[in-house]
Amino acid sequence: MVILFTNNRIFLNRVKNLKLINLSAYDVLIDVRNSIHLGSHLLTHPLCGNLKPSQQPFRSVLLEEKKGSVDFPSLSLIEEAIAVYRSAGSLAATQNYEKVTLNDYAFIDFELMRASLEHYRVLI
Amino acid sequence: MRLELHKLHVKSLQFGERTNFSNGVLTVNKSELLNLISEDPLLGKNLSIELAVPGEKVRIMPVKDVIEPRWKIEGNGQVFPGMLSGVESVGSGKTLVLTGAAVVTSGKLVRFQEGIIDMSGPGAEYTPYSKTCNVVLILEPSDPEMDKHDYEQACRMAGLKAAAYLAKSCADVKADEVEAFEHSTMDNTPGLPRVGYLYMLQSQGLLHDTYLYGVDMKKILPTLLSPLEVMDGAITSGNCVSACDKNSTYSHQNNQVIANMLKRNGKDFNFVTCIVTNENVTLADKKRSSDYAIKLAAMLGLEGLVITEEGFGNPDADLIMNCWKAERLGIKTTLLTDEYAGRDGASQSLADSCPEGNACVTAGNANEVITLPPMEKVFGFANEANVIAGGWDGSLAGDGSITVELQAITGATSELGYTKLGAYTV
Repeated sequence: MVILFTNNRIFLNRVKNLKLINLSAYDVLIDVRNSIHLGSHLLTHPLCGNLKPSQQPFRSVLLEEKKGSVDFPSLSLIEEAIAVYRSAGSLAATQNYEKVTLNDYAFIDFELMRASLEHYRVLI
Repeated sequence: MRLELHKLHVKSLQFGERTNFSNGVLTVNKSELLNLISEDPLLGKNLSIELAVPGEKVRIMPVKDVIEPRWKIEGNGQVFPGMLSGVESVGSGKTLVLTGAAVVTSGKLVRFQEGIIDMSGPGAEYTPYSKTCNVVLILEPSDPEMDKHDYEQACRMAGLKAAAYLAKSCADVKADEVEAFEHSTMDNTPGLPRVGYLYMLQSQGLLHDTYLYGVDMKKILPTLLSPLEVMDGAITSGNCVSACDKNSTYSHQNNQVIANMLKRNGKDFNFVTCIVTNENVTLADKKRSSDYAIKLAAMLGLEGLVITEEGFGNPDADLIMNCWKAERLGIKTTLLTDEYAGRDGASQSLADSCPEGNACVTAGNANEVITLPPMEKVFGFANEANVIAGGWDGSLAGDGSITVELQAITGATSELGYTKLGAYTV
């Protein structure tokens, strides 16, 4: 099953299969990694968009969710993405974005996923 | 293919009754240019045009794109094919260039992610566009609730239209200098290695897109492109995220990798061709494009490949795949990238790596912090400093100074090598 892991509520009712994680972008990556450990495959790069971890509050990753042996290319990519977030930890500024700014970050996160969601026919 | 660039050296700007060029001064008819860009119903009524020349205490922000004014005076097609004009192939004939001038577009599209150009002071040292005479378009949408795709396109097209208009208006002026370029994929000086240029272009989505002959790069398979087509604007930028390492249209037109490879063509190596490829989000696209691009390189019998990246993070995966796939076929690679190594430079620079990537040129660390002193004039929207990439809450101080990472400065770590940062042998 193709499923979107995200902490961005903009995807609610716009994607067929959604796992909404009401936590940080980093937590999304950890949940994705846990799913990869169980056999899921990454369909999109976990670091899409050229926003730094300390700036972009949202993270969305498309997976083919399944059980089985570990897909090592997926595992490698997600571990590298998590490493980027960890190394950025010391850079992270406290971001108290205004609502309009938050909405823009959510919007761009959606736009960066759009082509992939269309490709896998999961956009409603 | 032969292309002559007929260059007028612009050293200053002024507003006047007729748009033209004389004695190093580009005169701009403000109302005519305003009328031209105002034709687009997507743009609002309060558009403005400002002039900024090197050394002035002026800050331009947030910058969307920078474009060099060019206009074809002879030969097939017209500049910015597929965007402004027809879709005929370009790259041959004669093209007028207003060297030293640039159109800079500025506008608020989202509440972050656009760049800064300081025309003087410490920030000016980091952006090549502090040395150009800039015609600045300050744009707004006709409807504040407008679809952002529409407004992005309107800003992009306004810049291209203005650049073409300025150069076209000077088409009857005799050039100060003519620079000729010739290139043929068939040229092959015996004994020299066959080298190509793998030109990676952003294609992730809104604010992260690039166009080839007007086609969205995310929808193409890697393909061949003459280096001379690039000089006529075959590649146009639709991205400014983040500002330091996004290829402006200007940096495509003046691609320094291409310029230098052409200079060494037939002397140190045979510069066979450019291969353009994308940087999509979907992993299957990454695999397909890297396989396809390297297949083209192998079919052309390339022995070496210069690879330039655009952006960081997601495209690091494309860069690394391109690298090892080429190397494992015996094609030597040299990579040109920038770094996100933390403010102290101690963190890992790229999100991906491979042992084959053992020849790498860096354009600088985008996380370095710089304080930009206040300027006398700001063209654009100064309060955006707090929300642009590389800025943070409180970046804009009461006195107008801004503390940001280099990431926020347009072109500061250009991965096409169009940058003022560098090491020089003396």
